[in-house]
Amino acid sequence: MIEPLRISVDLDCSVDHAFDVWTRRIGSWWPKGHSASGDPATDVRLEPRVGGRIFERTPDGTEHDWGRIVRWEPPARLGYEWHIGRDSDAATDVDLTFRDLGGDRTRLEIVHSGWERLGTEAMTWRNANTAGWESLLPNFVTAVDRAGAGS
Amino acid sequence: MRGAAPGGDPFDALGDPNRRAIIELLSHDARSVQDIADALPISRPAVSRHLRLLKDAGLVTEEPVGTRRIYRLQAEGIEAVQAYLTDMWGDAIGRFRITAENTRPRAAKRRP
Repeated sequence: MIEPLRISVDLDCSVDHAFDVWTRRIGSWWPKGHSASGDPATDVRLEPRVGGRIFERTPDGTEHDWGRIVRWEPPARLGYEWHIGRDSDAATDVDLTFRDLGGDRTRLEIVHSGWERLGTEAMTWRNANTAGWESLLPNFVTAVDRAGAGS
Repeated sequence: MRGAAPGGDPFDALGDPNRRAIIELLSHDARSVQDIADALPISRPAVSRHLRLLKDAGLVTEEPVGTRRIYRLQAEGIEAVQAYLTDMWGDAIGRFRITAENTRPRAAKRRP
């Protein structure tokens, strides 16, 4: 079992709105550089149901699947298998919880797990690259703190 | 994974079970093409093709030793995969937060 990546961010909006932006409006904010095509004009979609696809459609109509929804409980929980840029047999698990903090504030908690499905080499990587892998989590915290600065 | 490696996409490179097996073998020690072919149920030309793809993705390097070519893991390539994940979540969360907070309904009261 490889330690999941855990990310938490507090948002100045309601849970309904946060869930809606993450799902229905994913195309408005997902960084286009983090796509299979890398095309800045690619369109990102999420089909709002269990079994729904998360995918991109490039301007020429080519579609690349990134994942599949396994938990759909608006506006509190969302889960998907995530294999952007990889075959689906190497999917990892993304689980999101949207908590109502009251006063129109929301805490989004993301748990990204299932690294062992990348194959035995995931474990080997961690062992062979202690400096690299073990610095991943602090990097995430820093990145999220930076993104959340000034809240 | 754009910009993380000189050629191919490391995630594509890892999408194949034979290439993952090669990575695992090389995580123990450097090996020649023949050593790798002996350890896997695939032909030597197939191993060479997989190695070329792994090399393009920046995950392995090769060096000539006598008449053989010895392959080993390239730490930078593996770190690039990790850096990509860090960037992906950092960028995504930042942009999501800005979008969510700047598009929330003005009258933020919930209906009864």
